[in-house]
Amino acid sequence: MVHLEKIEYKPMPVRDLLVEMKDISELMIDLAYSAALFHSRELAEEVLELEKRVDTLAYILEMNAMLAARDAEDAEALVGVYAVAAAADKISDAAADIAGIVLREIGVHPIVREAFQRVEERLARAEVDHSSILVGQRLGELELAAKIGVDIIAIRRKGEWIINPEGNESINEGDILIARGAPLGIEELSGLAGGTIQKLEG
Amino acid sequence: MALTKKLFKNIANKLVELKDTSELMMDLAYSSVLLNSRELAEEVQELEEHVDNLHTEFELLVLSSGFKPEESKDFLGLIRLGVVAERIADAAAEISEVVLRGLEPHPVLKLVIEEAEETVTRVQVAKKSSLVGKNLRDAQLPEETGMWVLAIRRGKKWLRPQPSSIVKAGDLLIASGYTEGEEDLRKLASGEAVLTG
Repeated sequence: MVHLEKIEYKPMPVRDLLVEMKDISELMIDLAYSAALFHSRELAEEVLELEKRVDTLAYILEMNAMLAARDAEDAEALVGVYAVAAAADKISDAAADIAGIVLREIGVHPIVREAFQRVEERLARAEVDHSSILVGQRLGELELAAKIGVDIIAIRRKGEWIINPEGNESINEGDILIARGAPLGIEELSGLAGGTIQKLEG
Repeated sequence: MALTKKLFKNIANKLVELKDTSELMMDLAYSSVLLNSRELAEEVQELEEHVDNLHTEFELLVLSSGFKPEESKDFLGLIRLGVVAERIADAAAEISEVVLRGLEPHPVLKLVIEEAEETVTRVQVAKKSSLVGKNLRDAQLPEETGMWVLAIRRGKKWLRPQPSSIVKAGDLLIASGYTEGEEDLRKLASGEAVLTG
């Protein structure tokens, strides 16, 4: 039997809902490809969890948008917002399909995976060495996005996944970081995590 | 018949192009809505046609590769990844349609721009620009301007920027980043300012 979260109306700003839907759906794409590239069933399962979250948000957004429309003009203005939300939902469905490929062990041919990894430099998996200057630092203080254009989208720690970690999360030795960002920054992050780069340039 | 190296490389390259183009479309589609830019929206629509063609070529390549029965699962995975990229491209095209249908952008979308604090800009690279002949790794635009190149339009082709991509005179750069960097990037591209790095 399929368990779906019961949908109840919650008054929430459409703006917040849309921002969350957009952010999660984009995160899901990167997480899903990461799951495929790095052979991770657990990460694929996290993607499916996020997909449920996006579905719930889509319902709540729709209800709030319905209530916000008082006349034809409002309806015209809101239908565009709804279209954008529906597209974000569709993108999250597509990400869930990638996760499905991983979970059903349909498989991606190994040579192609190699090709993907070679070309796709936007995603990286880096293990934090004990000699890394990142150990013990909070994400919020590291400001990786501002400094090297890289965003940590997930952390694997002791068998658990921390998805979209907050700024107050600190990095531990042995963490596996899944990051997305500019290719140059990705290279730098790998060096920082591995301990071969000992300085984070501002 | 075993799959030749050349055919395999072709399939892999097509898949990467599909994936990259679909993700680029997402960025451009959101940008088109946030900026209410018909031009960007039209570019997304053009890319959607391009992706449809790519997807067909990709599927034909996979199907004609002569895989063995025991390899069929791996090849099914390939076909499905192609479908996913195509669906993402569709979603991006739907986002850009909001703009093309002339719907006045809702204030909510403008608030979303303010939250994102980011802007999208397009600049053309002049012959005398110091960017000409440089690859993106050496140009270090994010460091110089705080702007990231999302896409390069060269002639009729869209390129997803790589560190090794070399900037050519006449290139149209679509970049996103903080508003403050827009002017810096425009000056670098026009040649009014030169790279300091």
